[in-house]
Amino acid sequence: MTGWMGKIVKIDLGRRTREEVAVSDALRRAYIGGRGLGVRLYSDLCPATTDPFADDNALIFMTGPLTGTLMTSGRYQVISRSPLTGTICDSSSGGHFGAALKGAGIDGLIVEGRAEAPVYLSVHDGEVEIRDASAFRGLDTQRTQKGIQAETSSKTSVACIGPAGENRVPFAAIMNDKDRAAGRGGMGAIMGAKNLKAVAAGGSQPVAISDPEGYKELTARLERIVDKNPVTGKSLQVLGTSVLVNIINAHGMFPTENFRRGVFNDAEGTSGEKIAETLLQRQSACFKCPIGCGRTTRTRDKQGEGPEYETVWAFGAHLGISDLTAITEANYACNELGLDTITMGSTLGCGMELCETGAWKENLRWGDAGRLVDWVTDTAHRRGIGAELALGSKRLAAKYGRPDLAMQVKGMEIPAYDPRGAQGMALSYATSNRGGCHMRAYMIGPEILGHPVFLDRFSSAGKAELVALFQDVSAVVDSAVLCRFLQFAVGISTFAEMLRTVTGLDFSDEELMKTGRRIYTLERLFNNRAGFGRGDDTLPPRFFNEEFQTGSSRHRRVQLEGMLDDFYAMRGWDRNGVPSPQTLADLGL
Amino acid sequence: MAATIAVKFYGLLRGRLRTAAVEIEGDDLTVLELLRRAEETAGRSFLDELLDREQGLLTGTIILVNGDNVRLRRGLETRVGAGDRIDLFSPAGGG
Repeated sequence: MTGWMGKIVKIDLGRRTREEVAVSDALRRAYIGGRGLGVRLYSDLCPATTDPFADDNALIFMTGPLTGTLMTSGRYQVISRSPLTGTICDSSSGGHFGAALKGAGIDGLIVEGRAEAPVYLSVHDGEVEIRDASAFRGLDTQRTQKGIQAETSSKTSVACIGPAGENRVPFAAIMNDKDRAAGRGGMGAIMGAKNLKAVAAGGSQPVAISDPEGYKELTARLERIVDKNPVTGKSLQVLGTSVLVNIINAHGMFPTENFRRGVFNDAEGTSGEKIAETLLQRQSACFKCPIGCGRTTRTRDKQGEGPEYETVWAFGAHLGISDLTAITEANYACNELGLDTITMGSTLGCGMELCETGAWKENLRWGDAGRLVDWVTDTAHRRGIGAELALGSKRLAAKYGRPDLAMQVKGMEIPAYDPRGAQGMALSYATSNRGGCHMRAYMIGPEILGHPVFLDRFSSAGKAELVALFQDVSAVVDSAVLCRFLQFAVGISTFAEMLRTVTGLDFSDEELMKTGRRIYTLERLFNNRAGFGRGDDTLPPRFFNEEFQTGSSRHRRVQLEGMLDDFYAMRGWDRNGVPSPQTLADLGL
Repeated sequence: MAATIAVKFYGLLRGRLRTAAVEIEGDDLTVLELLRRAEETAGRSFLDELLDREQGLLTGTIILVNGDNVRLRRGLETRVGAGDRIDLFSPAGGG
């Protein structure tokens, strides 16, 4: 089959063995690659009770059949059981690393076992070599990447961890191509547990294309579509993702001081517009991306990438901080140390409220921009107050007797959209297979931005069906593997056409939607086995019991139960959120 | 003091108009009438960022009247008056 390289390599770092894992054509068709195939392989290898840090846990780096081909195809997915949540997790990152893995001749890499001392994997033209990484122990992600490039080639793409991953902080990120992050769910901590400092990939293996003529035509057509679309062709390029700051704030759902208010008075000063006026040096783009939403920025003393919307919020409004330089430098610190900015910021906000209530006798105060970088650094090294912050919000709040103050679902912190302002987003958070994440079903599209259609954000009617649909499409995009921002310009038919052109398989829209459903249900089955059920498909009590008094989302609460019933019915799951035998049979599970 | 309607610009609109807000004198206008007056006051056109050729709202355009989306009211025919605040966003996305 074209598109796939036809090679997935399993490495045991303890035994120092390697073997090729056979994947049938039928399995590729059923799960595509990336997230879908990764979750399938992981589920077959590891029981749902696997300790994420145990030697026998697997960490899977996956590309998809589109990786390294059409636009936005430089991404990769990392799959394992999350140390933050205990759910199945896949974490996605942009840059070039995915394309580099394919160029190195493999579709994916399964890592098991634990090395005695730090190692890195060098993947080149189909060969995987275990190399000594002692020299990089303790180094930040930037020095690690440069050091490994010096040992291999300047053209090598490196995905690595920093001190946070080495110290098994459960929200440690994997960083690649300087500042791109597989941020959510702590995949970096699993690398740390395996003594795997990095994976370096390079080579010049071509990806075979089924229909080269169609590929050329499709490439040109996609470029026209993306260029003409006002979001992908203009807004994301000029203003990046932080254009959302003013939009979400105007809707009264920009979470402020740990979700206690929905309007941040200083939002303007941390907006995408303000970043463009002040810190922005230039936009930056991932592999074959015509959009280029990335922001290369500079403060007085430092230079780096970001902040993106979620980070602006996590270190800004969420903490009552409006100092854009402090927010940006906290972002740089997370990139260098290898930490997820969302969980880091959200945990700080949780800590600040714990301190304010007196439950935690520490000196964390709203608006204290001056200590942000120190808190981030201490968290990565698990020292001082950082040893507590490294728990993440759920464990921290539970430890101090106020579990209600952690703004999380299944242990993963909710990002920058207050669910009281968008009922569909509330259901999306509650039912996300990896916890409080906006990327499983981005209901902000229809509920706020009017993409692809506009829906009343306060109504729950019809939301269950759309959440399920979005979850399925997202699973397909994450398995292909493409960037989600392409979805602002094209839909499932185009994804089917892209897959047909590259692989030669006659994927229809219907088959792809069913594939997405299969992947989502497979993830759910894993979570059911890990002990998750209806009681976990919920939100912190704040969203059911407290209302904003100001802003355009005032006097609103989340109305979850009815939507949840509809959602389960839509998915063919029983009232406890367990897929029925009939559903499993329909999906071939 | 004359009764005015506050019109706020964000994102690309702000860059194009080189201003973040204008005050429009008037009362009981439709949103479309208000937008045309805002163009005159700002001294530059911007409606092509928000509307299609048939003068309908582009997919992704957000117009809020006191925080509420006009799509849930009467769209461009929604009536606005003195003291109202209008927020204008051309199509945008992120995540």
